[in-house]
Amino acid sequence: MTETAVKTRRPPLWEGLRKAWAISGKDMKIYYFQPAVLIFGLVFPIAIFFAFLMGRDVQAVNLFPGLIALTLFFSTTTVAPFSVPWEKMNRTFERLLFAPVSMFDAVLGKVVSAFLFGLVISLVPLAIGLIFFGSRISNYPVLILALLLGNLCLATMGMLISTVNADTPPKVMMVLNVVRLPLMFVSGIFLALPTLPTYGRVLAWFSPVSYAADLLYKGMGFQSYFGVLISSLMLVAFTAVMFLWSIMRMSAWNK
Amino acid sequence: MASSIEVRELTKYYGSLLAVDHISFEVEAGEVFGFLGPNGAGKTTTMRMLTNLTRPNEGSATILGMDTVRDSLAVKAAVGIVPEASNVFFELTTLANLTFTGALYGLPRKRITQRAEELIELFDLVPHRDRKSMELSLGLRRRLTIAMSIMHEPKVVFLDEPTSGLDVESARLIRDIVGALRKNGVTVFITTHNMEEANQLCERIAVINHGRLVAVDTPERLKQAAAEAQAVEVAFSRELSGDEEEKLSKMACVGEVRRLGDKYHLIVSDPPCVLRALYPFINEHGLEPIAINTYGPSLEDVFVKLVGKEKEPA
Ligand SMILES: Nc1ncnc2c1ncn2[C@@H]1O[C@H](COP(=O)(O)OP(=O)(O)OP(=O)(O)O)[C@@H](O)[C@H]1O
Ligand SMILES: [Mg+2]
Repeated sequence: MTETAVKTRRPPLWEGLRKAWAISGKDMKIYYFQPAVLIFGLVFPIAIFFAFLMGRDVQAVNLFPGLIALTLFFSTTTVAPFSVPWEKMNRTFERLLFAPVSMFDAVLGKVVSAFLFGLVISLVPLAIGLIFFGSRISNYPVLILALLLGNLCLATMGMLISTVNADTPPKVMMVLNVVRLPLMFVSGIFLALPTLPTYGRVLAWFSPVSYAADLLYKGMGFQSYFGVLISSLMLVAFTAVMFLWSIMRMSAWNK
Repeated sequence: MASSIEVRELTKYYGSLLAVDHISFEVEAGEVFGFLGPNGAGKTTTMRMLTNLTRPNEGSATILGMDTVRDSLAVKAAVGIVPEASNVFFELTTLANLTFTGALYGLPRKRITQRAEELIELFDLVPHRDRKSMELSLGLRRRLTIAMSIMHEPKVVFLDEPTSGLDVESARLIRDIVGALRKNGVTVFITTHNMEEANQLCERIAVINHGRLVAVDTPERLKQAAAEAQAVEVAFSRELSGDEEEKLSKMACVGEVRRLGDKYHLIVSDPPCVLRALYPFINEHGLEPIAINTYGPSLEDVFVKLVGKEKEPA
């Protein structure tokens, strides 16, 4: 038997990254302006925030890191749970499987489009805070770290949630909100972490949102609860675990 | 040259359902290979296993010498896939669907634009170039799906019922394109339940039923296998009475009579013998024949024969 097969050379890294970027670009074109994405990713967090702000006599400036965390959390986690089931339903997701695209690159492409969406949208409350409510940035590197790592981690979380076994976008969105709403209350969004009751502070350790919020507080002149190093490491760790888990779940799909 | 596709004992279970049952076959390089079978026979499942969209439970397959599971990325780079349902991105234009596909296959940017325009031309999609796919008709989407599958000029193309549900015009365009692929030395694996299509396009045909291969051969040789099933088709200017129908079926050399619309299909093994008996019958009953045709064994007969005798296990 002649083994004429060309030995499968691993394609160079950048080739994979180019494909991932093509997937991101396609997602941006298609999903950023979907009503469901805009409502859950933009209108929803802002509405919740103002509802919360209204009834209390806290100084708004103290709430801005929380608002930014909330917006970032909601916008970033919305994209993949909409696009992935939508593409599975229309069988367009299979297009990524027809092509020589590794699951790593496919997941990366999806995560990056969500990451950029969240990044842009989280700048909105930041700008509002800086311009109208007297927020200030006390530590640029930490703030930038917060936005980058926070968005990346939560984009990955959205990706992981989008892999649940549900066949339509609304069902996946429901699962998404079941996960998101409770996390909102134990992550230092409305109440800074040190002021949470004990069980809240314990639960906060399990929420990636806590670490994003913590870095945001630090970057905007407040106390960090976990410390910058721990928060950053936890975000990286959550990202890595959820990313790999997403790849595993996606690889098993429809086999 | 060696085989393009080699399949060994490929098997797929869905739970306890045996969808594909230890099938083996080879497809030569540059061949157009038909995969024919009734609904639920396992055609799509086989195709999905060959393109590593579904994992086989047993057996293996190679494409261009590469294992479909172990070398799946290399296999994917070498093959084009047209799935059963046209899965284009509704929100993207014809052009954007093609360019995105090109990017997924890692083509250089210049080549992507060039190739996309080339395919838009080839598939008669010029007026639809900048329309979103959700606005396209079924036939146009089908064409776009096929165009996307050959964006990267694959050596092997898998088409799952490429023409089903299309009008004559679109179906012909697609068949012409398959013909062109063959000319360029591309190996084509095509599933269908359209006998005539398989007959026209394919050099060899595999017939699959209940997950098992029941025959693999050229269309002509498959037809010879059903040689006793030739037919004479006759249409009269008026409806036959029950009595006359009865007589027709008892006529010399006639095996079986099937009524098809306004025609009678006489299954025979010796057409001239029936024709000789038919004229006295016509005169006797004062009939006027408006059409008489004789048919050699059709692939349909072959199919009915092969698939019919493989009745569902009781
Ligand atoms: N994902 C699945 N889960 C469970 N059973 C399946 C699945 N896909 C196919 N089957 C079953 O496997 C068998 C073969 O299906 P397959 O789709 O391969 O047939 P087919 O020959 O392509 O039929 P058709 O002509 O209708 O397209 C059928 O009985 C089908 O119900
Ligand atoms: Mg099928």
